[in-house]
Amino acid sequence: MDNPTPGTLNWRLSAHPITLVTFLAFRAASLLIYLLGGLIFTTNFVLIFIITILLLAADFYYLKNIAGRRLVGLRWWNEVNPQTGDSHWVFESAPQPNEPGGKLVNATDKRFFWLALYCQPALWAALAIVALARLRFIWLTLVAIALVLTVTNTLAFSRCDRFSQASGLMGSGLYSASLARNVGGALVSRLFNR
Amino acid sequence: MAMMPSGGGGSNQTANPYEHYDAPMVEDDLIDPDDATLDDLDDPINNQSTSDRAPLTGNISSSQAQQNSRAANNTGNYLTSAIPGEDRRAPLNTIDESVWDTLRRDMLAVWEKMRQVLYPKYLLGGMMSRGGGMGGAERAEGNSLAGGVETIRGIVGRWPDADTVLQGGMSKGLRDWDLWGPLLFCLLLSFLLSLNARDDQRSLVFSGVFAMIWIAEAIVTLQIKLLGGNISFFQSICIIGYTLFPLVIAALLSALHVPTIVRIPVYSVLGLWSLAAGVSILGGSGVVKNRVALAVYPLFVFYIGLDCLCFIS
Repeated sequence: MDNPTPGTLNWRLSAHPITLVTFLAFRAASLLIYLLGGLIFTTNFVLIFIITILLLAADFYYLKNIAGRRLVGLRWWNEVNPQTGDSHWVFESAPQPNEPGGKLVNATDKRFFWLALYCQPALWAALAIVALARLRFIWLTLVAIALVLTVTNTLAFSRCDRFSQASGLMGSGLYSASLARNVGGALVSRLFNR
Repeated sequence: MAMMPSGGGGSNQTANPYEHYDAPMVEDDLIDPDDATLDDLDDPINNQSTSDRAPLTGNISSSQAQQNSRAANNTGNYLTSAIPGEDRRAPLNTIDESVWDTLRRDMLAVWEKMRQVLYPKYLLGGMMSRGGGMGGAERAEGNSLAGGVETIRGIVGRWPDADTVLQGGMSKGLRDWDLWGPLLFCLLLSFLLSLNARDDQRSLVFSGVFAMIWIAEAIVTLQIKLLGGNISFFQSICIIGYTLFPLVIAALLSALHVPTIVRIPVYSVLGLWSLAAGVSILGGSGVVKNRVALAVYPLFVFYIGLDCLCFIS
């Protein structure tokens, strides 16, 4: 039996299989519910809206607080200065293997993570175009919320990753952080400047 | 290089290199202790202590994060990036905490925020703790009235008092904002209000209320910021969202078809509770004193509007 090369997209190779599967399940679930709802249950908009929003919120929370931390060792949050009321964003990454206290991030985990992170906003953007084309503006609000949440996570984690890349992390899946650098730009810095 | 004054002063050469410490020919990067900021006191030659490779100690939990941020604020931003922010190394023990720890911490934070936002310390706190000092002036005014009415008048007399409003501070629990409260209460409110709508209008009512709540929250936040409040955007949305809880109760009562007669006093109390909780935010946001009424007005309209929606449901 030949050893599968590290980094192949097989969930059994992951260091945290349960986390990975749950993470992918949440990601897929919000998309699926929206699609199914749009196709089948179009009359009961309220129910679909609530379920999708709750799944999106769960996905956002899970990715930000649990999956990002355990799969790739990255975390980000916002801190408020109590005196001035200014908020600033903090991006944190786990120590690299060549640093004290570091450990190697599983290659499979990394590929799954970054693939899912970049695919999700792309898929939601496609759904937004579809909703526009079908002139379903009320569904467009739902897609807009989904886009905001997923894009926030993607950009924030890319930002975390750029920091650890600069300190010597090897390739992080299919997409490198240069994509985030191109996508970011002035718009993002305005968005994140509170 | 930075240790010795260099350049200039050819005519002032003496054995003591630090003689002309305050002279203008001293190099700019020589540290003048009187002008030193936290940045300058780092050793400029050996940057090890401030490089981003040095592991920073500290706990990842929010309670520690503020202390860390003040210490570590100056080590961030060495990397150019499109997103401004601070980069840190995570201590491994906290980045590997269990899922249950994370969930528990966040659930406790949500509960703590609900408690803090909804406990109307403005009213009750004023009566209980500051009854001797603040209420003394009010009670002196109301001396001619009957005893029972006096306390009520004391509260009402205290209402537009800017000093009381602005004395409250932003407590620690409220500083770490999260959007769970606004999301859940917004969803609940929209859902409960849409339950009683006609079938063909149901989704319209739902999305209408949902959109209205978020837009109104954004507008109130913007107004507080424009009036000079030092409150962060997300923090203010968080707190306003949490103050919607009494209105959620009102909507629930509407959904249960409570008779109209009962609704009038109950909904007024719930609306006032929301308003009191909302006004107490202003205490922590540092709004300028004579603009308190301006800041309170949109909040007032917001809560009255939602209350009426529940009432006519």
